[in-house]
Amino acid sequence: MRGLPAARATMGAVREVLVRVAGLVFAAAYAAFIVSVYARQPRTVQQLAGGVAASVGAYRVDPVNFQEGLRFFRNDQFPEARAAFERADPARQDAEAQFYIAYSYYRQGWGHVYRDDALYRQGLEVVDRAIARAPGGRLVVADPTLQMHTADELRAELQRGLVAELSDFNPMKVLEPRK
Amino acid sequence: MTRPLPAAREAFLLPALFLTVAGAGGLRISPAGGGLSFVPPPLITLVLAVLLLGVMARAGLLIPSGLLGDHRTGLENASGTVVVLSLFAASAQLFTCLTPDAGVLRLVFNLFFLFLLWNTLAAQPDRTRLLRSLLVVFGWAYVVRYVALAALADPQAGWTRRLLTVLLEGATSGPIEGEATAPLAGYVAFATLALYMIGLVLLPRPLAPGTVAIVATRAPDVLE
Repeated sequence: MRGLPAARATMGAVREVLVRVAGLVFAAAYAAFIVSVYARQPRTVQQLAGGVAASVGAYRVDPVNFQEGLRFFRNDQFPEARAAFERADPARQDAEAQFYIAYSYYRQGWGHVYRDDALYRQGLEVVDRAIARAPGGRLVVADPTLQMHTADELRAELQRGLVAELSDFNPMKVLEPRK
Repeated sequence: MTRPLPAAREAFLLPALFLTVAGAGGLRISPAGGGLSFVPPPLITLVLAVLLLGVMARAGLLIPSGLLGDHRTGLENASGTVVVLSLFAASAQLFTCLTPDAGVLRLVFNLFFLFLLWNTLAAQPDRTRLLRSLLVVFGWAYVVRYVALAALADPQAGWTRRLLTVLLEGATSGPIEGEATAPLAGYVAFATLALYMIGLVLLPRPLAPGTVAIVATRAPDVLE
């Protein structure tokens, strides 16, 4: 019986240590979350919520809208495809959906005699986001209907389209196929 | 000597409150479309936060020995460090929250805070008076930023805008440009300010003089 108060005191001390350790872990995680929000700069509440879900691995794209986006994309209906992909990935956290959005900018901006710089610039912005979201920055999309399967290829192609070179005046360039 | 804080308050509640203020303080909501952006603390707010923590320490609102010191264990000191750092981040971001984002008004607000804190530092108020003083200073800054300036920028504000324009006529050489804010931003700023003030109230308090006297009589070694 004499040992009871001592046991209680020990329990209290252990509980306090546990509370403090848990508090430190909580504070570190919360601070890291706030810093990541400031670094990512989400523009909408959906992006903010999606970022939180993605950080705990709970974020999923909407498969119905994603398939619809793919259908529009393959029919060369690029604005419609982008709208569907945005619905599928409202938080802009899915690398593959972002890759298709960037690809749609490339295909829409591509022409035999000129490239649309504004669309290419938007595509470059989105493909950079796709690379940032991909694990290790490496993104491969195994879609047989595409000519470029990696985000790096798409990024390089978009960058080439934005740079004015002497080779742009080569008349044979008109024969280049769209990728 | 301070009253010991419950472990849960020191380890969870205070960091949660102050980190929430630090996160929400930089939130900006666009009046057109409600787009979000997060503003990191400008350098001047870091200076103001250092000054504010100095004022708090001088007034006994922030008692460093209640959070850090040789008499505490390593884990307790780690908890105390988190509280102090989160309080610093919250203070810096509260200034960001209450200061206009650009223009002459931003300079005016920062100078206002700087001179007011300097003055408070010289006045050496006690804990209760400093809390009241901060509530008044931050409250006024909130009203000016989120009520008056928002009304000046809002063409729909009607009589509020007309009244402010008349009041400010002659006070300045030209018309004062308001700063458009989304209505939700005012509510977020209000909650941020309220959480900050609650956090300050929950910081360790000094022991009442009578209690110190009893401890000094019965356990003088503790006071060494």
